[in-house]
Amino acid sequence: MQQIIQDIESRFTITDKETRRNDLCFLTVDKLQAISLVTYLRDYQGYASLTLLTAVDWIEEGNFQLTYLLNNPSTRTEIGVRTMIDRENATMESTHHLWENIQTYQRELKEMFGIDFPGSPRIDEDFILEGWDNIPPYRRDFDTKKYSEETYFPRPGRETNDPSTYMKSKLYPND
Amino acid sequence: MSIKDILTPFTAWKRVAKEPVTVRDPFNDRPGADRYRGFHKNDVDKCIGCGTCEAICENEAIDLVPFKDPVSGDSGLRPRVDYGRCCWCALCVDVCTTNSLSLSNEYKWIATDPEEFRFTPGIEEKAWDKNEKGWKKPEGNYEFYNLERVSMEHLHPEERNDSFIEMVKGFSKEQAILEADRCVECGICTATCPAHMGIPEYIKAIRNDDMEEGMRILYETNPLPEICGRICTHKCETVCSIGHKGDPLSIRWLKRYIADQIPEDKYKEILNTNNLEVNDKKVAIIGAGPSGLSAAHYLRLMGYQVTIFEQYEKAGGMMRYGIPEYRLPYDQIDKDINYILSLGVEIKYNTRIGKDITLDQLGKDFDAVFAGTGLHLGRGTGIEGSDNQHVYYSTDMLRKITSGEEIEVADSIVVIGGGNVAMDITRSLARLQMQKFDKVNIITTSLETEENMPADREEVVESREEGATVYPGWAPQSIEIKDGIPQGLHVVKCNSLFDETGRFNPQCEMDVKNYYPGHMIVQSIGQGIDISYISEEFKENIKFGPRGRVETDEYFQTGVKWFFMGGDIIQGPDVIHGIANGHKAAVGIDRYLRESDFPNN
Amino acid sequence: MDIKKIFQINNDRSSYPEIGEDGKPIIDLSSHKYVKIWQGPQHPGVTGNMALELTLSGDEIVESKTHVGYLHRGFEKLMERRKFIQCFPTCVRLCVAEPDPNEYLLATCVEELSGIEVPETAQWLRMLVLEMSRLQVLLRGVPGQAGTFALGLGYQWGSYIRDLILDRFEELTGGRVYHMYILPGGVRGLLPDGFKKRLEENLKLADEFVKNINDLMFNNIVFKKRAKGLGYIPKDYIDRYGVYGPAARAAGVMRDIRKTHPYLKYAELDFEPYTTTESDVYARSVVRWHDLKMTIDLIRQIMAKMPEKGEIKAPTPNVMHWRIPKGETYVKCESSRGEYGMYMVTDGSDTPRRVNLKGPSYTHANALLEKLLINANIADTAGIMVSLATCPPEIER
Ligand SMILES: Cc1cc2nc3c(=O)[nH]c(=O)nc-3n(C[C@H](O)[C@H](O)[C@H](O)COP(=O)(O)OP(=O)(O)OC[C@H]3O[C@@H](n4cnc5c(N)ncnc54)[C@H](O)[C@@H]3O)c2cc1C
Ligand code: SF4
Ligand code: SF4
Repeated sequence: MQQIIQDIESRFTITDKETRRNDLCFLTVDKLQAISLVTYLRDYQGYASLTLLTAVDWIEEGNFQLTYLLNNPSTRTEIGVRTMIDRENATMESTHHLWENIQTYQRELKEMFGIDFPGSPRIDEDFILEGWDNIPPYRRDFDTKKYSEETYFPRPGRETNDPSTYMKSKLYPND
Repeated sequence: MSIKDILTPFTAWKRVAKEPVTVRDPFNDRPGADRYRGFHKNDVDKCIGCGTCEAICENEAIDLVPFKDPVSGDSGLRPRVDYGRCCWCALCVDVCTTNSLSLSNEYKWIATDPEEFRFTPGIEEKAWDKNEKGWKKPEGNYEFYNLERVSMEHLHPEERNDSFIEMVKGFSKEQAILEADRCVECGICTATCPAHMGIPEYIKAIRNDDMEEGMRILYETNPLPEICGRICTHKCETVCSIGHKGDPLSIRWLKRYIADQIPEDKYKEILNTNNLEVNDKKVAIIGAGPSGLSAAHYLRLMGYQVTIFEQYEKAGGMMRYGIPEYRLPYDQIDKDINYILSLGVEIKYNTRIGKDITLDQLGKDFDAVFAGTGLHLGRGTGIEGSDNQHVYYSTDMLRKITSGEEIEVADSIVVIGGGNVAMDITRSLARLQMQKFDKVNIITTSLETEENMPADREEVVESREEGATVYPGWAPQSIEIKDGIPQGLHVVKCNSLFDETGRFNPQCEMDVKNYYPGHMIVQSIGQGIDISYISEEFKENIKFGPRGRVETDEYFQTGVKWFFMGGDIIQGPDVIHGIANGHKAAVGIDRYLRESDFPNN
Repeated sequence: MDIKKIFQINNDRSSYPEIGEDGKPIIDLSSHKYVKIWQGPQHPGVTGNMALELTLSGDEIVESKTHVGYLHRGFEKLMERRKFIQCFPTCVRLCVAEPDPNEYLLATCVEELSGIEVPETAQWLRMLVLEMSRLQVLLRGVPGQAGTFALGLGYQWGSYIRDLILDRFEELTGGRVYHMYILPGGVRGLLPDGFKKRLEENLKLADEFVKNINDLMFNNIVFKKRAKGLGYIPKDYIDRYGVYGPAARAAGVMRDIRKTHPYLKYAELDFEPYTTTESDVYARSVVRWHDLKMTIDLIRQIMAKMPEKGEIKAPTPNVMHWRIPKGETYVKCESSRGEYGMYMVTDGSDTPRRVNLKGPSYTHANALLEKLLINANIADTAGIMVSLATCPPEIER
């Protein structure tokens, strides 16, 4: 694993790396290098299998993190390629030419995070949601609790008490 | 493909002759397994309404509803479960701080009204209340939080028995955060703390490693955190919900930890008290004990011009002149007090009200007066020989030790008393004996039996560690005097102190006797009130309660509107009550001076 | 319209659909050469709530689209506002049929990111529960394949034994379906007295079932005729489409996390996952039948080797404010369907920043199924789908 990382570092600009286990590490690269790195890993380093592609919303920094998790079946190791993309008008180059299954991930990311992968097959078709008219729901600024309170009705008759406030109200209301 | 492939599947027909495996009898009960996670049960007498079950329930299935009036340590609330939401994960059971909550192995419940499926287990009777079986918190080392305290380092007896340096070392950051992690934030403790400190909140600040926030929370209700963080009677810890299954949180040491982290010169900036307003009203405080200092602090924050009159040359009251230095170092007292004085509180030392200035004069010169003069009169046993000059009061001796006056230290000493003050004088004298004779020879005896001794357990244990002998359960009878020097104390066995009605009425076995030799006797059986500064005609205007104590209203206002009293003379006796009284009185004085419709105006 | 033309049977279908200039089939529904039907979301031949939008020419499928979204619960997102311990009752619901791997993955992610070692006994108990869970699935999963060809009998036999296994789950974990047993730090109980004996009795029935099902399915001309050669997965699809577990092993590719990345105590067990190369529905069935046999054997090995007593849970931070430093990890285990993994990102707070669950169905039911159904017969849809063990809850979480 260490060797591969060294090899990658000699070819790509790795801005951050995190070795999780001896069979799993995460490497961060610039958006422009991400697809080349993923392709390089697939074609030259045996990371032929895509375990998953997903996003993490770092709303505070204004970024989406994309993680391409690749598996090398012969060395039995995994590399997570991370890249940060701008949250505004989030787009990423599609990789549907690399794996047949990645278009599903890209469709889901479009729907759930609003990240576009232009050219990816059926990218604009609904995947899980149908007739969704709110912001993409897996973004951090979509508040599930608020949404459910507005969309569904609470069961009437529920009320609760905070022990400390309740005790104050009963035992020392004026302090 | 072979003929076998056509025939083999027909072997399935052999099952035709077999007994069916389906259950035929739907009417007989099929009880859930021993660990089944069925409907809730709650032992409501054991439950303290801490709400931790509610907090962990990810489905928000639990509400806390009133069951009875709250008392110290029990909110009086009980969990009510909404089966429209519950998923029977039993996390509420596993987290329950008292182990009162469990799930039965019952899983059938039929009702036509959906509202029925919201119920308060243990209060609304259910058929499964008596089911022994069902989910309980797994046994063994299965806990959702640490039941054991992070242990506090103390100086070893041999490191401390001849000096007055502080014996409790205080938490490191790691220790404090670990200890703070044990809190479940139920807030049950807040009601028990006389000052109602925001305990879960400041403990949270420790977890967040935000000492400045912690400090601000402390000062909302307590302007003496360094002091209280060391010597508070920590009533809060007796009700801590974690204490039901394990060790209560070390709330006191955590408070000390926060205050210890902030240097004195940062206080004003953190507490945002650099530019306090000053109004044109003046308030006088009699006594610089905790109650007086607390009142002064909060009044000053509200803009009043505050002057404290203190009879001794230093401020702190019993905190300085009573509590020994090895428990409460003077520089820590100074740190707290200096901050209060830095807010612009004026203090006149060596000024005794009633002697140097009269109370009436104060009343004329100031808009309001608060008195927190404490209990400073030593109380004697009155037994034969107790008028000898080598028989002392503990408070006098402790005060002299503090002010550096020479005191007698005999080679053998007997202390009478079983409270914390008795332990303080015992341990102080033991140290002095060690310094002077290189050995300890001191006997402390109390009326109360070992398990009923009012002193804190660790005080008794540590006294013994330091070489003192403690004999509980003996009543002093007389002091043997020879050539004007005490020889020892005669005692008889004392079995109980109070009768059935709860009145003080010691029961002794007069023929079971003992004799404790000692050339010096110290009486430590309590202190009395000295309010001689209140003139007789003034007294006519204020109310007295049954035991000669002044009666005040909830704002500590006396019958004389401008005169407020608090601290040991009214309540307590301990520092935190003094602080709480002072704070409340400050609010009362503020309202008295500002609001024309203040109830007593 | 020429009536004759409609009734004219054209045996040569190779010209349908015609391939257009862009390389894609031209499917013009108004030409009446094609018909579009929906299989699902309510359909006995569909696993769970999922829909296949099929375009047929005659009874041959020329185009297939998978539609999910009928039971999206947003669990991944919901966990982002739950404390780590509160994720535990949530995550188990990701998959009803086989909930235990979810518990295992959540616990392992949390433990790994907070640096917690799980006690030995708890690890064995976890493994036992995971294998019991696999057994419980395969007892219906193996005969379920025959069910897609209208042979429902084995499924009923399996259901009976599965129910007995659920009894064992009930006494060990307190629940029949959602066990909520493997939680961050450890497990929630030791084996009850006499548990091993009762489980062994159930396993004996399972042994018998394994034999009977062999007779019923694999020595059955109908099953053979229907399953052999059906839904062939070429070996080069494995990585391109994301094929996992039994489906990969039926194509001659060794994919079993228990073997390739031994977790818990699997390295101490003696087993060799079965592989074959035919890569059709029949082969996948056989692989799963072998898996069933192997699981029974593994449970016996675990019961023999596991410690009787010991700690079941490591001390953890107070669960009410368990915070995990910034970090991320991916952990995986072998579910009955193949590699089942969880990706967790933490940000130093007391809730996860992101949880992403990846089950084999995500690729099996989408890209792969859509591909395999082309040119298949409409009557074989269910057979192909079940052979991939597609499970919608893990697709849409
Ligand atoms: C030995 C000992 C150990 C103790 N240990 C603890 C402990 O560990 N924890 C705890 O919580 N409590 C402890 N206490 C009790 C605690 O010290 C008192 O309850 C507390 O100090 C009372 O505060 P106060 O403000 O009412 O009065 P005091 O602290 O007694 O202060 C009164 C002040 O008023 C001054 N004063 C009195 N009369 C006049 C006058 N006429 N004019 C001007 N000034 C006057 C006094 O000099 C004194 O400074 C202990 C007490 C003693 C004696
Ligand atoms: S956690 Fe236990 S003690 Fe606290 S309210 Fe709930 S049932 Fe009562
Ligand atoms: S069993 Fe679980 S869901 Fe039900 S009330 Fe308890 S914590 Fe909430």
